[in-house]
Amino acid sequence: MITLRKSKDRGHTDLGWLNSYHTFSFGGYHDPKHMGFRALRVLNDDRVAPGKGFGAHGHRDMEILSYVMEGKLAHQDSLGQPRVIGPNEVQAMSAGTGVIHSEFNASGTEPTHFLQIWIIPDREDIDPSYQQFAYAPNEKRGVLRLLAGPDTTNTAAARIHQDAKMYASVLEPHDTIKYAIPHGRHVWLHCASGHLDVNGIALQEGDGAGVSNEDALEMRGGGERGAELLLFDLA
Amino acid sequence: MSDVNVLVVFYSRHGVTEKLALAAGLGAIQAKANIRLRRAADLADRHTIDANASWKEHLDRMNRDYVAPRPADPVWADVIVLATSHQSSGEIEQYCALLGSDRAHAGKIAAPLASGNDDTVLKPIYAAAACAGLIVAPPATDSPDPIAAARTFGQRVTQMARALKQHAG
Repeated sequence: MITLRKSKDRGHTDLGWLNSYHTFSFGGYHDPKHMGFRALRVLNDDRVAPGKGFGAHGHRDMEILSYVMEGKLAHQDSLGQPRVIGPNEVQAMSAGTGVIHSEFNASGTEPTHFLQIWIIPDREDIDPSYQQFAYAPNEKRGVLRLLAGPDTTNTAAARIHQDAKMYASVLEPHDTIKYAIPHGRHVWLHCASGHLDVNGIALQEGDGAGVSNEDALEMRGGGERGAELLLFDLA
Repeated sequence: MSDVNVLVVFYSRHGVTEKLALAAGLGAIQAKANIRLRRAADLADRHTIDANASWKEHLDRMNRDYVAPRPADPVWADVIVLATSHQSSGEIEQYCALLGSDRAHAGKIAAPLASGNDDTVLKPIYAAAACAGLIVAPPATDSPDPIAAARTFGQRVTQMARALKQHAG
């Protein structure tokens, strides 16, 4: 079964400096029917004006991933030195027993577009930690590139404290990839940009799809630009 | 969602009190509170601040990282941490006076904090908080590590608020 979550039906926050779409309930947007999917709790599609951002605030017991689509995101937290990430980099923060951090558009002239993802950890009170890594753009062209998961022994990816994996892929028009869904697992797909065809169902930028009781997904880039997508494999 | 809300209002010029405030906030998070961090505005005029390069630099950064306290903040809070600079306590005293204007927040916990538990700057804040009807928490314990002491203080006042709420509930 594939359940569509259309982009236009998402929650929306417009603060002037921040234009954010919420796939699941977040902040002032609360819909009991959209509180997350399995351990995936938050998927925010954020556009931040130049020089602006989220001031110092706290988190606890959450795995927080940032995926930059465009621009640069500056991050500073109670764990260490300030860092900046851009496209083809992943930042993962395990809030655990608690962190305070801030996130700002690192540019004074260009907007930043990024996806922020929260995954509920499999246990509370872990030690806070921060990870950041870069990968080559071609590592996600036409393939699913693992970016985060519980076991990163064989891949340069962020280790998170949950039985969940996050992949990214960029598909040119007509590029097709397949994903075999292990028995009993669930998938959330997010079309981050462009047009995507999933098992014959069309997704546009910002659309999501919850997948349960399916054996496999066939994803094909559509339109004139193809698609950039995130795939979450969840228990 | 946590059952205790902790508002951390601080006044810092060069970042020292800011670090204490962040440590208290982190302690509150560790004790499973929701937190809000707010910087009280300077009473000094901009010309005076601009004449001090370090103050100006920190102010520009802190104005980006924090908003000033809002009227809804103390309504939301169960605990109000009041972290003051040893250089000037007037900003936090003024904030306490605002809190006490109609005793709307009476019965909530005030948690004054200053580097070194400096009595000179803390006493007027204790008085202003008590006049506002707030329950004033005992000072953070003296410690060779003020950041660790502030973190423990944040944990302790969160636990106090939780105990009070459970008793009232």
